[in-house]
Amino acid sequence: MIRRWRSVLRTPLGIAATALTVAVLVLAVVAPILWTDDANAVDTGNILAGPSGDHWAGTDNLGRDILFRTLVATRLSVELALAATAIAVVAGLVLGTAGFVLGRRPGRLVSAAINIAVAFPGILLALFFAVVFGVGATGAVLAIGFAGAPAFGRLTQTLVAGIESRDFISAARIAGVGRLRILVRHVLPNISEPLVVNATIGAGGALLSFAGLSFLGLGVQQPRYDWGRLLFDGISSIYVNPASALAPGAAVLIAGLAFNLFGESVAKGLGVGVVGGIPALPPVVPTLVTDEPLIEESHQAGTDLVLDVRDLEVTFPGARGPIRPVRGVSFAVRRGEAVGVVGESGSGKSLTALAVSRLVGEPGRVDASRLDLLGTDLRARDSRAQRQLLGTSLAMVFQDPMTSFNPTRRMGGQLAEVARHHQGLERRSALARAVDRLRSVRISEPERRARQYPHEFSGGMRQRAMIGMGLMGNPALIIADEPTTALDVTVQLQVLDLLQAIREADGVALVLISHDVTVVGEVCDRVLVMYAGRIVEDLPAAALSGEALHPYTRALVAAVPDMDTDLDQPLAVIPGRPVDPADVPPGCAYAARCPLASERCRVEDPALVPAGPGHRVACWHAGEPIDIEIADREEVRVP
Amino acid sequence: MSELRFDDVTVRYGHLTAVDRVSLTVPAGQVVGLVGESGSGKSTLARAAVGLAPVSGGRILLDGRPVPTRGRRRPLQMVFQDPYSSLDPRMSIGESVAEALPPGRSRDERRAEVYRLLELVHLDPGKAAVRPALLSGGQRQRVALARALAGDPQVVIADEITSALDVSIQGAVLNLVRELQRELGLSLLFISHNLAVVRYVASHVAVMRGGVIVEEGPTDRVLADPGHDYTRELLAAVPGSTPSSRPRRTP
Amino acid sequence: MSLASSVAPAPRVGAPARPWLRFAVRRLGRLLVSLWVLVTASFLMIHLIPGDPVRAALGPTAPASLVAARRADMGLDDPLLVQYWHYVQHLLTGDLGTSMISQLPVSQIVSQRLPATLQLALLAFVVAIAVAVPLGVSMGVLTRRGHGRRTELAFTTSSVVVGIVPDFLVGVALVYVFGVNLGWLPVAGNDTPDAYVLPVLSLAIGPAAILARIVRVEMVSVLEADFVRTARAKRLPARTIYLGHALPNALTASLTLGGLLLSGMVAGTVLVENVFAWPGLGSTIVSSILNKDYQVVQAIVLVYGVGVLVVNTLVDVALALIDPRSTIRED
Repeated sequence: MIRRWRSVLRTPLGIAATALTVAVLVLAVVAPILWTDDANAVDTGNILAGPSGDHWAGTDNLGRDILFRTLVATRLSVELALAATAIAVVAGLVLGTAGFVLGRRPGRLVSAAINIAVAFPGILLALFFAVVFGVGATGAVLAIGFAGAPAFGRLTQTLVAGIESRDFISAARIAGVGRLRILVRHVLPNISEPLVVNATIGAGGALLSFAGLSFLGLGVQQPRYDWGRLLFDGISSIYVNPASALAPGAAVLIAGLAFNLFGESVAKGLGVGVVGGIPALPPVVPTLVTDEPLIEESHQAGTDLVLDVRDLEVTFPGARGPIRPVRGVSFAVRRGEAVGVVGESGSGKSLTALAVSRLVGEPGRVDASRLDLLGTDLRARDSRAQRQLLGTSLAMVFQDPMTSFNPTRRMGGQLAEVARHHQGLERRSALARAVDRLRSVRISEPERRARQYPHEFSGGMRQRAMIGMGLMGNPALIIADEPTTALDVTVQLQVLDLLQAIREADGVALVLISHDVTVVGEVCDRVLVMYAGRIVEDLPAAALSGEALHPYTRALVAAVPDMDTDLDQPLAVIPGRPVDPADVPPGCAYAARCPLASERCRVEDPALVPAGPGHRVACWHAGEPIDIEIADREEVRVP
Repeated sequence: MSELRFDDVTVRYGHLTAVDRVSLTVPAGQVVGLVGESGSGKSTLARAAVGLAPVSGGRILLDGRPVPTRGRRRPLQMVFQDPYSSLDPRMSIGESVAEALPPGRSRDERRAEVYRLLELVHLDPGKAAVRPALLSGGQRQRVALARALAGDPQVVIADEITSALDVSIQGAVLNLVRELQRELGLSLLFISHNLAVVRYVASHVAVMRGGVIVEEGPTDRVLADPGHDYTRELLAAVPGSTPSSRPRRTP
Repeated sequence: MSLASSVAPAPRVGAPARPWLRFAVRRLGRLLVSLWVLVTASFLMIHLIPGDPVRAALGPTAPASLVAARRADMGLDDPLLVQYWHYVQHLLTGDLGTSMISQLPVSQIVSQRLPATLQLALLAFVVAIAVAVPLGVSMGVLTRRGHGRRTELAFTTSSVVVGIVPDFLVGVALVYVFGVNLGWLPVAGNDTPDAYVLPVLSLAIGPAAILARIVRVEMVSVLEADFVRTARAKRLPARTIYLGHALPNALTASLTLGGLLLSGMVAGTVLVENVFAWPGLGSTIVSSILNKDYQVVQAIVLVYGVGVLVVNTLVDVALALIDPRSTIRED
């Protein structure tokens, strides 16, 4: 908490804004004590005079010093702004939380009222209230306060709605905690930070609005004066003494900016992390001990390789130095082969897919000693030929079909543009091909569907359309990143079947990334198991149950119940939690959770070495028996 | 031990009928699994039971009496899906658990009770002052279980409690659920989209689709001999289920 | 997407029938309710003023008989509901009452003054959007994914600062620089084309800065969206990705936030007109408030309110045209 506030003060803007805000507040306290007499002194010899040694900003129509008056006016201006802000905040809080406290129906009414009020600009509301409450300081405070209330109410409402939808609120309600108590104990503490930040920004806004009202002559009345009033008086003599308008104008501006910028930098400091440049890390030691081919017999069918990846690394800049979520991954995919990549969140499996398809954008960095697609080196600079190759030979399928299509464009057009850009088809024939591809992925009425928008498709249909988009070219490889995770099980089956059918019909290779070891085991020929950015085992899918050698693979298979799991035994448990890519331990990354771990494991990272036909494993204790009874106790570790 | 009974329950949101005249019984001390796909109404049914969704028809009964959804005594408790949303980030895990304790105890008694509950879910009670941000998803779900148990419930509803967890952690939470259910003799309504998980935990299973329960019965019977087409469809879609002669998995 | 169904009704597959008709009906309904609230508020305004508005307008020296006669003219002695009924009736026939000070029909004052204000607001709209959208889009592309951190800092800081400065202060500064110091441009009235420059600029600069910042932020976040990744996976040229895929989506999000900014400019004319002695509604409403000419104030508040509602409705229609999803979004 304190550290985050300190980060506010680290930016130049934050320092400046904080210093200015403090200065304005100090001035508001001391200026009237020090200079009230100077500000009221009438110098009849110097009426409407320009800046001089005696009067740095000149004098007004009674010969009073503009600079002193501006300084003294700080207190009244700030006081009025703060009073108006307080009214806006309190009224806004009442409005914004009313829905939560009163329940659904009355809440909807309040919310409709806020919606209507917030559509009207603050100045208009302020003018309305200024008429009702009368011209003068009190009227203006009330006017600006109430004019700010709807916006603040809306903000509160949005924040409350965000917290209200969280399960801990439901849990508290189920536990029988009253609504008001939930508001005080759970809701308000969780929204206090943005509220305070916005109140600060609001104070800046109120200060400026107040100046606006006074400038119109509707705010503070003589003989009292705030900055707006001084400005009102000064603008009429701007040709005689410009400083009489510029001095109070500058004061308003500086104070308004101070509050606003202070709020903005606090908001930014509390919300956004620090990202620096990307220093190049020394490459990790190649994980292959020998330079032998990754797949047996591949020397006789060298052209058979669709994808060949060696020592792939992905690096991101982090707050405490570079983070490397993919740490030396080597594998190859043959024509028509289905390779599964399994791993938990943070294992680097999705990044591996993105890196292979050259979609890791900046600030990420991809390094590899080989990255070949159909014999073409993808590490070369982006060129038209390379884009053409990737656009037509590589198909990508992403996890969330809802967000992976452009919501503002029709489906047909989104498919067709691939053919237009890479195959040079014109609009009409590209669209015809799109319709044909939609039909090929079993979408009924493809002509009608092509004219629809993504939101008019169901989830499974969208995912099939995504596959269809990949088929606009003539792909040799489909990379599918968790293609079924967001789908229901029955829909998942359809999508997997479709991928299988495409593979069989056209000899397309498939890289299927999933957290679900059973899905991968069923669909793929070969499985790569990833942990902490490395491949820890590469084995035939049929060997998953029974012949896996790495303790992680074995535990992963045993920890997931399937339809044959023994109901009388507890499930296998992997203690601890997955490794944070920002904090990978030395030695084998799995050692901390591994029942077989020895001293060597904690020091020396095992390389991925052959362990039988079509089998590679990275473990010092591969295949050793494991005692399944592991203490099922989670310790809370406090870093 | 208590019996939870849904009697002809309907839940509507505007024109949409999320739950359509559902009758379902969770017998005392038993685990009933409720499976179905997204939008089938299974979570809505659960939320209706604890008063989070409006019941527009039918009754929800606990041992023959309406489930209390007001006041501090709540014999029906629920654990939610998302471990990152179910704990107040501003409260220590001990406070979160303590909040659900029935009122009317001394400070020391409450503290002792929180310790006992954390022990029960295999968390170190010495860490009661820790904020949830320091816990993993699995650990948070343990805290959520402890909080549900703090209300001294007769029935617990578990709504997809493992589907947001990493696979290596899911097993431990499932083990804990089975252990707690047996030790405390809880009646449990276990909601999941994953048939294999339901099979592992529940003795009875109900299959829901489009707001209606299409099939229910003892788990082994329903899975071995499904009576409804949709159940068969679901079973066929379970990955790894098609070749039933797959080699048995051994760790 | 969670696999469990949530509290909210499950998303329905496909769109409801005739989404445009439903959108039009819903949007029109909202406009009518807002109009009714506005009319009622402007009616109540006079009645919320403490004391007797006629006495306040005519001054303490006016004879009691005159005050009574004027009150009777205006129907102020009738029951409130009857007055409300008359007020609405008169509004529907275009009768906005009579000024207590000048004795002129208020509708005549409004129709004389409205064109100048409309011109000012429309020109400022056009300038603000023409500056903000290209600026925001190009800054978004330049500062995407942590690129150009210095550019981003400079742009964000300056646009925040410029955006905060209220339009009337911009006006004062422009008057000082271009009117007083350089003497290049006129600083009052709207008699010559060059007299439009400073008022339009003072009204447009602040909103343009804020809008540009919003467009940049939206552009940067849209460039991170899954569908932009899809577009990159299709290996489309950068121009197609930025202008064809990212821009429409960035604009919908910007319009949602920027709509309020545009309606704010309608009301912003009040202050700017007072800086430049612009013969529009804004300078009239202020003098009328000070003269306690409440009939005129009431009418102008109503006109401004209608202007705001029109802008908001147009923004929603524009949104619906760009993003078909917004026609089925419940509000």
